[in-house]
Amino acid sequence: MERHENMKRKIVAVISGKGGVGKTSLTASLSTLGSDDSNINPIVLDCDVDAPNLALILTPKRKEQIHSEDVFATLKANLIEERCIQCKECIDNHFCEFNALRWLEDNQIPEIDYLACEGCGACKVLCPEHAFEIKSVKSGEIISYETIFQFPLIYGKTRLGSTTSGKLVADVKQFAQNLREFQASNIILIDGPPGIGCPVISAISGVDYVITITEPTPSGLHDLIRTIELVEQFNIDFGIVINKADLESPFQEKFKHLIEETGYNILGKINFDLSIPEAMSYAKPVVNYAPNSSASISIMEIYDRLKNQLWNHQ
Amino acid sequence: MVKIICVTGGKGGTGKTLIAVNLATLFKNHGFNVLLVDGDVENPNTYLLMNGKLENSSEVSFFEPKIDEAKCTKCGLCAENCISHALLYIKDAIPIPILNVCSGCKLCYKICPTEAIIADSRVIGLIYSTKVNNIDLLIGELKPSEARSTVIVKVLMEKIDILLNDKHDKYDIIIFDTAPGAHCDVEELIQKADYVIPVTEPTRFGRLDLLRIIELIDLLNKEYRVIVNRSSLLGFRDQFLNELNDNDIQVLGDIPLDEDIVKSYCIGVPLMDNHSRFDTQGKGYKSFQIIYENLTKWSDMKT
Repeated sequence: MERHENMKRKIVAVISGKGGVGKTSLTASLSTLGSDDSNINPIVLDCDVDAPNLALILTPKRKEQIHSEDVFATLKANLIEERCIQCKECIDNHFCEFNALRWLEDNQIPEIDYLACEGCGACKVLCPEHAFEIKSVKSGEIISYETIFQFPLIYGKTRLGSTTSGKLVADVKQFAQNLREFQASNIILIDGPPGIGCPVISAISGVDYVITITEPTPSGLHDLIRTIELVEQFNIDFGIVINKADLESPFQEKFKHLIEETGYNILGKINFDLSIPEAMSYAKPVVNYAPNSSASISIMEIYDRLKNQLWNHQ
Repeated sequence: MVKIICVTGGKGGTGKTLIAVNLATLFKNHGFNVLLVDGDVENPNTYLLMNGKLENSSEVSFFEPKIDEAKCTKCGLCAENCISHALLYIKDAIPIPILNVCSGCKLCYKICPTEAIIADSRVIGLIYSTKVNNIDLLIGELKPSEARSTVIVKVLMEKIDILLNDKHDKYDIIIFDTAPGAHCDVEELIQKADYVIPVTEPTRFGRLDLLRIIELIDLLNKEYRVIVNRSSLLGFRDQFLNELNDNDIQVLGDIPLDEDIVKSYCIGVPLMDNHSRFDTQGKGYKSFQIIYENLTKWSDMKT
């Protein structure tokens, strides 16, 4: 392995647009490759807070050392009933832009739809009787531990119905910076959520490099293009990984042509390989489960190219 | 009465869109009037699987505060009350809106004592309403770099409400395709549905994400039945189905790995399309027929 001079800590996010194309499998393998490499000392974050799966593969070294804490990042309005004089102004003057206030005819007081409430505080400020307050409620939890591969894993998990995936993603990233291991770490690897919306924007904000993974299907291409559009707006350097690259399909030719035409940086291709789902069924990263498989060899190449992009490519 | 079926799943890439499109096609084949709603507004793909085009669009706008500098007295009241810190205020200067964190609550606009805040707006996405293979399609699409996907899902839901109120006999069946995950966009769609179909696959990831989406469906008090896609993967089918059975999770059917499915997905012709010329004896084809039969029984659709 070549030595990298002036190694600077880099934050890398693996995202995809389309779900189920291999973000988590790739992140798991890249992280154990990093831990086997000298000087890299990875810290791994699962920011797919709606469906965190990385912990199924990167299991804890000691169960009793799992650290978990609740996050109260969601704000919600609450009615202080004794202050309400039933003037109905909140409804009549449309205080709430999110239609979270409804008038209860029976009780003659407003009711808050907690799902719709954004915690913006408009009702609190506008109510002449100060009958609303804003409270922090549990938005999810952050779990962290040392994995069997000797590096820390941190993941967030939203509380169902709490509406704040993006904020929790930011909290997970913040949590990593306060870890004891952070100073010695040269790579922070983020397993991102699917899509291009709020949680993805939160996952890629402030990162040095984005790996966007896709597959050669019309949906894969469509979602890749939208992802790149997002990443380019944030001005982040990126590389594409094509999973199931040898998929037998009438779309292959078109896909290859379109990808080549764009001139985008291809970080690597992974051919369809049953050792990937097999590795998952044994709860192992594929590079550890079957290091000589075609998928593992491709991922090792991707890892080397990634290192090159991060530290030699200035 | 129109029935609403929501295809969802927690995990990404399990086959939600594939199943939503083919169920819509099957209902259409049987003479029903079908509306397919693409609620995965971050990455809508339904039309790609049907060789459809995005057409007939309408804009979805979102509030954006603009400061009328002539009217602004630089009092800072707007910034002081903005819980999302979307207005940057430095003493004796005109506040600067930080648009990407603005929740759109319009509080600044409502409380400014000198009416110096103008309620401007910008387009954050589009709604397309089109027709492919005799299936009406309503698609929401978020603009890349915009964060507020839920606003678009809500506009889709408003359109469904209007349909249900004004033209309640126009459709026999409405099928939703959701985003992956278990966040508010998915929640909005499940909440409106009569029948929920979580799609999963027989893997560890599939199982974990399925349990999570079921937790959400239970929270919303909805009926659901599961479809296990790629069921023949690595020979885990029976074990996985038994496990669901042991947990009292009802299954609508399973779909094995099938080359015709991959092909149909890649050429944009639904497997179950009458003119698709796929092998009607194929594994995938037959499994969809069984699922359709089970679904019509469950949802009490008279064919």
